Amino acid sequence: MDVEDAAQDLRRRTLAKFERPLDRLIYLSSMRDYNSGVYYHDGLAASFTEDVACQAISECHSEAFRDLLGSSLKELVSQLEGYLSATRTSPAVFLTVWKRLEPYRVAVPVGTDTLSSELLFSNLKVAMAILEENLTSRSTGQQAA
Amino acid sequence: MIQLILFLAVGALLLSSLFLFAGRLVQPKAGEKEIFDARRALSSLRTELLQPDIVARIFATEDLDYVNSSTSEEIRRMFLAERKRVALLWVRYLRRNILSLRRFHLGSVRHHAQLRFRTEVTLAVEFAILLFACRALEIILWIRGPYVAPKIVRAATAGAARVCEISERSLGFFGPGSATPLGKPSAGNHATL
Repeated sequence: MDVEDAAQDLRRRTLAKFERPLDRLIYLSSMRDYNSGVYYHDGLAASFTEDVACQAISECHSEAFRDLLGSSLKELVSQLEGYLSATRTSPAVFLTVWKRLEPYRVAVPVGTDTLSSELLFSNLKVAMAILEENLTSRSTGQQAA
Repeated sequence: MIQLILFLAVGALLLSSLFLFAGRLVQPKAGEKEIFDARRALSSLRTELLQPDIVARIFATEDLDYVNSSTSEEIRRMFLAERKRVALLWVRYLRRNILSLRRFHLGSVRHHAQLRFRTEVTLAVEFAILLFACRALEIILWIRGPYVAPKIVRAATAGAARVCEISERSLGFFGPGSATPLGKPSAGNHATL
């Protein structure tokens, strides 16, 4: 019950600001310690306990992953573009870094099955290629105008 | 003298009890590995491979339509190659888990669960058709890509779901271990396309 309350609290207060599942996934994965796999959130831990907060974040993380996995390719391209705008990074830099480092690979929840991960990585790879093509064609169009 | 005989008798009794107990501990339990593998396969099928949303996403034609209408030929080729890779991964995992369930049925269930002859025959036929469908699907996916055989995909997922149901009942016979160790619901997970 506590975990569900904490998850609701997290969804209402924090995650409501992130409309896109991709943003939620990246945000929630950033709360996880890479070595221990434990999630930390001071505010949530203060209202509940560290253990409950960790479980609640883990639940929301899995939820974000499922939402993103269920997104169509078109939605994924749109989410990537939205995320790119939110980061205020140069599109060229963003796409180069994401293609090389593939940071989304460390953003999946622990215990995610291989097939689901591979499906998401594959979709993100294609979505990035589409986004790059769209951005190139837009900038070419602007230059021509 | 009587005391010595008594001591020897008690000693012999204790020794034989110890041998009996040790024998029970080291005696291999028949089909334990098959049961473990079958439980894992069942869990994998229920929670991953037969999940309707995952199967639907892999073979979703809306993604193909989007790529066909909005992207270049290069992206289209890349998308088809990626989707083919994931679809092949799916069918290989499916086949591997079905094989694991078949091994369990061939090895253990005959001795323990006492399936009725008719159920055994039905199951054997089901396994044969399913494994053939998986292999055929793998070849088709390899040659023609992920969007040409939706009927075989549907047939394979439906067949796998039936085999899962029967295996779940059989595994239930083997006691406390859950057939779905990850705690996911086991009912109503049949994939539909």
